[in-house]
Amino acid sequence: MTRRSSATGWTRLRRFDWMIMAAAVALMGVGICFIYSASFHGDPLRVAPYYRKQLVWDGLGLLVCVLVGMTDYRRILRGAWAWYALAVGLLLLAIVAGVSVRGAQRWLCILGVCVQPAELAKIALVVVLAKYLGSGARRVTGWRIVLTAALITALPFSLIFRQPDLGTAAALIPLLLVLLYVGGVPGRVLVFLCILGLLFAPLGWLALDEYQKNRILFFLDPGKDPLGAGWNKIQSEIAVGSGGLWGKGFLKGTQNILGFLPRSVAPTDFIFSVIAEEAGFVGSAAILALYLVILSACLRTALSARTVSGKLLCVGVAVLLFFHVFVNVGMTVGLFPITGLPLPLVSYGGSVTVALMAGLGMVQSVRVFSVRI
Amino acid sequence: MIRGIQKWRIAAVILFIAAGTGALAVRLFFLHLGGDGRLRQRVELLRRAEIELLPSRGRILDRTGNVLAVNVAMKNVCADPYVIARSGHSRFVAYHLARALGLDPRSLVVRLQRPGRRFAYVKRRIPLEQADTIARMRLHGVFMEDTTARYYPLGELMCHVLGFVNMEETGCAGVELTYDRFLRGSGGLVVTQLDGRRRELYHRRLVEMPPFEGMDVYLTLDMRAQYIVEEALRKALERYRARGAWAIVQRVKTGEIVALASLPSFDLNRYRTASEEAMLNRAIGYIYEPGSTFKVAVLAAALNEGVVTPEDVVDCEGGAWWYRGKVLHDHQAYDRLTVADVLKKSSNIGAAKVALRLGEERLARYLRGFNVGRRLGIDLPGEQAGILREPDQWSAISATRIAIGHEVGVTSLQMLNILCCIANKGLMLRPHVVSMVADTDGSVIYRAVPTVIGHPIDRDTAQVMLALLRRVTEAGGTGVKAAISGCPVAGKTGTAQKPICGGYSRSDYIASFVGVLPADDPDLGIIVVVDTPQPLHAGGRVAAPVFAEIAQELLGVLDLGAGRGYL
Repeated sequence: MTRRSSATGWTRLRRFDWMIMAAAVALMGVGICFIYSASFHGDPLRVAPYYRKQLVWDGLGLLVCVLVGMTDYRRILRGAWAWYALAVGLLLLAIVAGVSVRGAQRWLCILGVCVQPAELAKIALVVVLAKYLGSGARRVTGWRIVLTAALITALPFSLIFRQPDLGTAAALIPLLLVLLYVGGVPGRVLVFLCILGLLFAPLGWLALDEYQKNRILFFLDPGKDPLGAGWNKIQSEIAVGSGGLWGKGFLKGTQNILGFLPRSVAPTDFIFSVIAEEAGFVGSAAILALYLVILSACLRTALSARTVSGKLLCVGVAVLLFFHVFVNVGMTVGLFPITGLPLPLVSYGGSVTVALMAGLGMVQSVRVFSVRI
Repeated sequence: MIRGIQKWRIAAVILFIAAGTGALAVRLFFLHLGGDGRLRQRVELLRRAEIELLPSRGRILDRTGNVLAVNVAMKNVCADPYVIARSGHSRFVAYHLARALGLDPRSLVVRLQRPGRRFAYVKRRIPLEQADTIARMRLHGVFMEDTTARYYPLGELMCHVLGFVNMEETGCAGVELTYDRFLRGSGGLVVTQLDGRRRELYHRRLVEMPPFEGMDVYLTLDMRAQYIVEEALRKALERYRARGAWAIVQRVKTGEIVALASLPSFDLNRYRTASEEAMLNRAIGYIYEPGSTFKVAVLAAALNEGVVTPEDVVDCEGGAWWYRGKVLHDHQAYDRLTVADVLKKSSNIGAAKVALRLGEERLARYLRGFNVGRRLGIDLPGEQAGILREPDQWSAISATRIAIGHEVGVTSLQMLNILCCIANKGLMLRPHVVSMVADTDGSVIYRAVPTVIGHPIDRDTAQVMLALLRRVTEAGGTGVKAAISGCPVAGKTGTAQKPICGGYSRSDYIASFVGVLPADDPDLGIIVVVDTPQPLHAGGRVAAPVFAEIAQELLGVLDLGAGRGYL
């Protein structure tokens, strides 16, 4: 018998998992420091103002996290379809009225503030899938449910894919699979889905753009064109490798300051290279540890959550977060091809920070409203 | 039950995430702390750049400091065929470049459409203004390279002495070749680091060695004297429709060459279009039979040995002398002449008889003493040694023919130095064209000093010979046309038939005059040689007037006291 908590906001706040908040704030702090470093090229007066903008976004993210965390996640789940519709609508709007940056139409700009609707779509998909798969009324073993969930995912996936933003679109697939898995879909169905996916992978290759194919090819053989498309990967590995145990020191990373890491992506996709070079193995291991803190907290909440949809929400947020970290760091250390996925909470970027903090807020909410009183 | 499955499945997800993070951590560990340092080495290699600083080649100046060869700043137009071919505009680029540079657009297109290459010269060494217009076209894949080009302000003047450099700025002829190691300088080096856009980081220079600039080479030659000589030769070349004409002016007492000219000549700034004929420095590289001028050497030897005195009378056989089955003619019939008059009138028979009296062995020894058949060692490339066979290879009449300057080959430089030796009291000096080499800051690195390379005849013999040679330009001598006003000239004419297959030509001669002045205390030695003059061909009629013209004008520009007191 769970009673809807009628506790005041203060009590709800007290039930927050403050480890998550502390780790998130620590990551944000590190992020701002190294966004500064990544935009620093020798002259403190000419540092690009990214770190200041990120400060604002981080603040906004924390606020959203607290607000969402204090809202009952079941209320959010009730509005799941509305959120989903909003996200898809914004994705469509980006196609019509989006701003194109380096060949990809990802941005929606309102009054000078630009956001990526794809980031909202990720969180909205988590919510809608959690609601759909977690509503106890249905048995989640049937093919019909798997197919419906796949269709729900396919809509934002295709919209993001054609922006084109391969990395973000790809993030939706493990999300779907893991949520189906945790939701209770029989293993054989999932195995069948995976086999189907592998069979259709060659078709997917045809759908890729030239530059995306190149990125994959150069990942497999970076020596092919060390000054062209293979450049970022090599330079990133050099940055990490030259960091050593303790790193070169803050603002002393030559790969970054001398412009070997491309300046346009150093504060965003390659922030981890900058950290690894300047803070060494100690720094990069600490970053991974902070993510582990958040991930374990999310999954702990998932285990203790009292509803299936609550569990699914937590697992979904954790999978999203992990996918981003894994792919971004993997790309930095040369384990993955280069995709434009940011390092959540650390990289410069507003939409991703706010969206992820909203996700973490939902995890808090699951925790807050799962406690038996 | 469902709840249980979910727990396990969440646990599986936890495991999966832990494994993924672990994999990242392991990879990070090995990247960060991998011991072999290969990545660090690669970093250094990518950063490091060695920039060679090219020295600027030294100048060549004449005795009075006039600049004869200098480097001027130029640009090379270069292209990146890879970029151009990929842009798909190679025809467009080639057309515009070809039009601006005066090249053939079709062959340029071919050179630009090589996507496998990253570098090609479009045109090397173009003036800066032209480079500006090309830079303003902003053609993608076309860029400039700084360079310098050798420029010879005087064009053809002194071309055989100066020589030229090739595209790599290495001396290939003349002083440019022999003094290349001074002129060239040596390159400097900057070892530095580059940033991500391959720009130099000036504050991270590791090594900075400035280049040693090439040194300046000062010639012994005088630009004005050279001009006088070349003008006189050019006039003679036209007047006598000669195949070639050359002359050397040398300081008797030091061996310094004051002027050295050889026609035909060529423009040093366009040396690649010059013919082999024009590039030959005939003054030191052309061996010819000297003819009567060579009698000087034979008579000097005979006088030095005391086998004759100037007053001895020689039977000149009325102009034709049969000896050992061959006839020898004089150009004019004489009965009896003193030895002094043999030289003055240039009697072949007289000279031949003197040579016979001297004997083959001694004749050969003296000629070798006069450096015949050996290089004098002038500091110019291409000097020939001449031809003098060993006496055991001589025929029965060889001595009589060598006495009149046949069966022997010399360069005009050798012939001149026989005269200069006589004029310099019997001391033979090494001729040279460079007086000194100076550093860019003016300190002298090398200074030429007079070098004695032989002493074939006594001082007294030399005095006597000089007096006899002076009579050649006096009334009744063959060299009267070489005389000038105000300055006595001692010298000798030469008119040698050119050897043609198996005999001697009746129409082709080499006319020459070699002399020194002033005759009482000689300071300048001058030789003028005209190859195949028409219709006149006697040395006294063709070369002597040119000699006189040169000598007369040189008196106006040269200080004849210079060099006195060296020896």
